[in-house]
Amino acid sequence: MTTTIVWWLLAALTLAGAVAVITVREMTRLILALGVFLLGIAGLYAYFGFGLLAVAEIFVYVGGVLVLFLLAITVMGRDAEGRAIARRFDPAAATVSAGLAFVLVMALRPSPPASLPVSGVSVERTAAALLGPWLPHFEIVGVLLLVALAAALAIVGGGEDR
Amino acid sequence: MTTLVLSCLLVAIGLYGVLTRRDLVAILASVEVMLGGSSLLLVAYAAAGHAAPAGQGYALIVLAVGAAEAAIGIALLVALVRRGRTKIDEITEVRG
Repeated sequence: MTTTIVWWLLAALTLAGAVAVITVREMTRLILALGVFLLGIAGLYAYFGFGLLAVAEIFVYVGGVLVLFLLAITVMGRDAEGRAIARRFDPAAATVSAGLAFVLVMALRPSPPASLPVSGVSVERTAAALLGPWLPHFEIVGVLLLVALAAALAIVGGGEDR
Repeated sequence: MTTLVLSCLLVAIGLYGVLTRRDLVAILASVEVMLGGSSLLLVAYAAAGHAAPAGQGYALIVLAVGAAEAAIGIALLVALVRRGRTKIDEITEVRG
């Protein structure tokens, strides 16, 4: 009973953050809504027993990506402060999104995941997997991050417009 | 089943944001919502006993790729802001 209540609370927090991301009118509140959503996702990871993933989500997304977004609106300057984001309901987009959700649920329904935690994965098993059979994937992701860093510097550091 | 529905709802909500928002930061945030929904589904399958370490590994990879994508997106946003463009409608050329 308690675990079910916890799941519903975390799900409500995550959904509220996601809906706020697509509906709020101001930039700073959008970033805060994204933070709420990411914290809800981290909570759900912890609920399913994946503590390492939950902590990594908080460190990387809430601590890194969210700060990147804040940096972005700071770079935008005064235009971004309290700037209203155009908001209008688009029935076509809503239909496409609802259709996608329906198709995904129908396609994945034969093998639904459990809503109650069955078992988590220990940090030792995760490390053994990442440094064992998953080592090539782990290294490729590291290279990808390095390339992304270099690309970001190349994009931002262009001197033509300075 | 409820986690499946929640994940698919999150992906749909993120997609709606990507399709309707005009501001680049809002579009990037909506993409992050989609990524969060899909990785939640991976984690839920892993928790149900379907290759748990692999599920967590997939979710970690999605997390890393999402962070890289956000970094590139923000870099592009900063470059576009220097040219005075912040709305998706104003970006009409793919040129340095």
